[in-house]
Amino acid sequence: MNAATTFFGSEGSFFEGRLAHTRFWTYLGIIAGMTGLALFGEGGYVEDNYLFELFSKQGATWLAGGAVLGFALSFIKSASKFRAFRTAEMFVPWLDGAVVMLALMGIYTLFEPTSAMITYEDQSNLVSGRIVMAMNVLLLFSAICYIAHLFAPASFIGQLATFTAWAGVYAGGSALLLRWYESYLLMGGDIGHAPVSNLYEVFILLFCVICVIYLTLESRHQVRGLGAFVLPIVAAGVFFSIWLESIGQADIKPLVPALQSYWMKIHVPLNFVGYGAFAVACAAGAAWLLRNRIEQRNPNSAMLAVFPSLKMLDQLSYKAVAIGFPAFTLATILGAAWAAEAWGGYWSWDPKETWALIVWLVYGAYLHARFSHGLHGKTLAWWAVIGFLVTIFCFIGVNMYLSGLHSYGQLT
Amino acid sequence: MWLCFAPMFSFNQTLKPLLTRFGSMPVAILLLVLLAVASVIGTVLKQNQDQADYLHQFGPVWYWTFRALGLFDMYHTWWFLTILGLLMASLGACLYRNVPRFLQEMRNRKGTLSDNARKHMEYKFDVTFDDKDKAVATVKSSLPDWKWLETESAGTLWLRGDKGRFHKWGYISVHTAMLVILVGGWMSVQFGFRGNMAVPEGASENEISYLRGTGVEYLKMPFEVRCDEFSINFFSTGAPSEFRSKLTILEDGKEMMSSDIIVNEPLYYKGVRIYQASFGDGGSDIKMNLFRLNGEGTVDVANTKVYTKFEDPYSDVSMEIRDFRPYNIENMAAAGKPKKFKDMGPSVDFVIRGKGLKPVLVRSFMEPFYLEDNNQGSMIMISKTGDARDFETYMLGLDFSNKKEWALFQSFLNRLPRTEGATQQDNLAAFRAALDEVYPDGRPDDLPMLGNRVIQSMQVLPDMPWPFVPILDSFDQTYYTGLQLAKDPGMDVVWIGSAILVFGLCIMFYVAHRKVWIKVVEDEGKVTLQVTGLSNRNPVAFEQEFEDLKEQINTAYKQGAS
Repeated sequence: MNAATTFFGSEGSFFEGRLAHTRFWTYLGIIAGMTGLALFGEGGYVEDNYLFELFSKQGATWLAGGAVLGFALSFIKSASKFRAFRTAEMFVPWLDGAVVMLALMGIYTLFEPTSAMITYEDQSNLVSGRIVMAMNVLLLFSAICYIAHLFAPASFIGQLATFTAWAGVYAGGSALLLRWYESYLLMGGDIGHAPVSNLYEVFILLFCVICVIYLTLESRHQVRGLGAFVLPIVAAGVFFSIWLESIGQADIKPLVPALQSYWMKIHVPLNFVGYGAFAVACAAGAAWLLRNRIEQRNPNSAMLAVFPSLKMLDQLSYKAVAIGFPAFTLATILGAAWAAEAWGGYWSWDPKETWALIVWLVYGAYLHARFSHGLHGKTLAWWAVIGFLVTIFCFIGVNMYLSGLHSYGQLT
Repeated sequence: MWLCFAPMFSFNQTLKPLLTRFGSMPVAILLLVLLAVASVIGTVLKQNQDQADYLHQFGPVWYWTFRALGLFDMYHTWWFLTILGLLMASLGACLYRNVPRFLQEMRNRKGTLSDNARKHMEYKFDVTFDDKDKAVATVKSSLPDWKWLETESAGTLWLRGDKGRFHKWGYISVHTAMLVILVGGWMSVQFGFRGNMAVPEGASENEISYLRGTGVEYLKMPFEVRCDEFSINFFSTGAPSEFRSKLTILEDGKEMMSSDIIVNEPLYYKGVRIYQASFGDGGSDIKMNLFRLNGEGTVDVANTKVYTKFEDPYSDVSMEIRDFRPYNIENMAAAGKPKKFKDMGPSVDFVIRGKGLKPVLVRSFMEPFYLEDNNQGSMIMISKTGDARDFETYMLGLDFSNKKEWALFQSFLNRLPRTEGATQQDNLAAFRAALDEVYPDGRPDDLPMLGNRVIQSMQVLPDMPWPFVPILDSFDQTYYTGLQLAKDPGMDVVWIGSAILVFGLCIMFYVAHRKVWIKVVEDEGKVTLQVTGLSNRNPVAFEQEFEDLKEQINTAYKQGAS
């Protein structure tokens, strides 16, 4: 894999070498352009207008400028290093995926019914609801396939599981983007907002995050057996979100004034990177515990062939925490920054804040146990599982049982 | 005890063991767990509520126990702050103990590796080449951004390469950052304040109030805040879309600055941030018509204000005005049907009291209730418990906003035949006569509905326990804006700490300290590189990387040869 000397990477793959590197920097440039537009664009940042501004002449200039700058930078950056393009190769598939989701969303908009059929009171004609339902079906099917794969380790079932999980991710991601677009179709564009404002929307986001983190680990380390633990967690969430929809929690509603801030678009998704990663860590912990049990009881079990090794599961659990912990920390800090801006104090000991701190302490202790005490294996596997239970309470339990400043997460 | 008798206790004897004990892992974990458990209590037990509610909820025994422990304002109790203080001490001790050692380790690199140590290492391979200098150069160029150290030991050349040697800075910065954040938090509590003030429109205020323990404390600001205007914008669903206050800051009566604030966009003045937090009625002027149920049809006017008490001069009944609402947007659809929002118009809430009357909370609407363009007459809501959730709707029959209907009702009532055995015909005649009197220029348009309303009020009004029917007539609304004022000198310190924290975490998680030792063994014109690798993090990736390295060195050597 001598990527340093060849332009397209030795395998000539779209996702490797110089090509990935250039694309990665171009994407970064576009993101920088978007940020630049929000910060320095003419007319400033207006919640409802920003999306449209992106497609205006000014927006196009910023984006194109960023893209060109990023493209140029990619050639300046030295390419002579060992494993030079590793970062780019790691991130570029995700960014490509985002572009595909955007394209899918563009296609869906063509199927949107006429405006007469869309009203705030009756949102059942919106296309996004159908795509979400497709995502639900895909993810449930994928969960079944992953479990079947444990018992029937035929590669076809495994591939089918992976494929449907990916399809579910694309359906979910593009449905969320479409929901963003649709929120502008209601009430004359009055209530448009990013689709991370209620429990139903963040659930879809959570499914996507869990699947992306897991699938990335799967493709990197060939650990398909782990899917039988990750996807059932997602499937449980799918049932919960179907229930939410059935009680009318899936409607697009206007944002309460406290949420009308660009912080929402950063704080919420970042938090869900944390939650999602902790879910994967929990799944790896559970898989570790089960494999350990099987090894003790029936060391010749055929199932062991599908399971990743104990060492690998231990590593994966840690890797997931290593993704989740910094993201969760940053999300909490940004939440504090938002609180400082909106409520007058960065820390109010509000139940949600306090539970976020508790989650943080739990995983902080996990890391201390791992690195300062050199703990591995069983204890940490349990720790990852219990840590996720605490996380679930922080995510859903606090919203449902404890009131506080985050009460907009409550069911109404 | 020995401390008292030691005349010359030194740092090494006393403080050092204490620091060591304090900076140890079990103590740190214990403190983290304590903090987590205490925090859980604080979220389960609602903080800073009304004391009477607590007493009602827990009963006297538990109430006083909890109160003594400070559980109602737990995050400010001495014992909770002590846990935080101990955590700071533990962090400090931990840094004191480990930082010098880490710095030492980062500086000193051992160039050689014993054979025994190599035997126990997982990642190693040997490659053999012809040319020593070229082999060494190839290795170095294969890992170009690694730090190299060459050592001669017993006539053998050793190479040691390091990548990510600074990763221990991750540990140092994360723990320093936590200390900085806690110090910032302490500064916020010690030198800052945070409290609320309610400013009615047109008035000004310079004192904030805040909860401390079980009581309320007040603090004077060095300036006054005047609310020039408060306004609310609504989505068409009736949900509020924006709360906006027009504020002016006054110092010694001089206007210093004027600015609008909304939620998420505070005002900053002399180190104090002013936030939009809440709103309410600021004492609106209320005019109510009191329709006397004395058979004479008298209508009196009650001019009053929100938060004041109106005493009826003709009876012993009083009305304590509680609140005024300019809008009452309700979902009129039946459950399960698509939502249909309707504004029921302005309303006033008051508690009505009098001798022999059960005090109840009343909501009186200004406008009659329309159902599909049919006037259903005025309505009031009554809550017998005084809780707004227990409101029950009463239709009064008449549309009291139209005084002619009241006149018609009175006229009809007076004309009704009092004798037994009056027929339907007689009643109708009485109604016609009343209509002729009140509407001399012809019958009103919605006569059938009007008839219904009058008949309904014949059934409802005689049962009223009060001497009059109080109906909101007009209003002059004043809001108060609920502001939160905060000064937080520790905030910037917290942000600096947070930045260091994130930076440190990135190093800790994503920078692995990878080392290779290469023993260059020369034997009969051939040179063998004994390569050994070690990574403190991410062994799975390192395994792959290490395998790639072997291939890379071979390829690079060959390319260099051709």
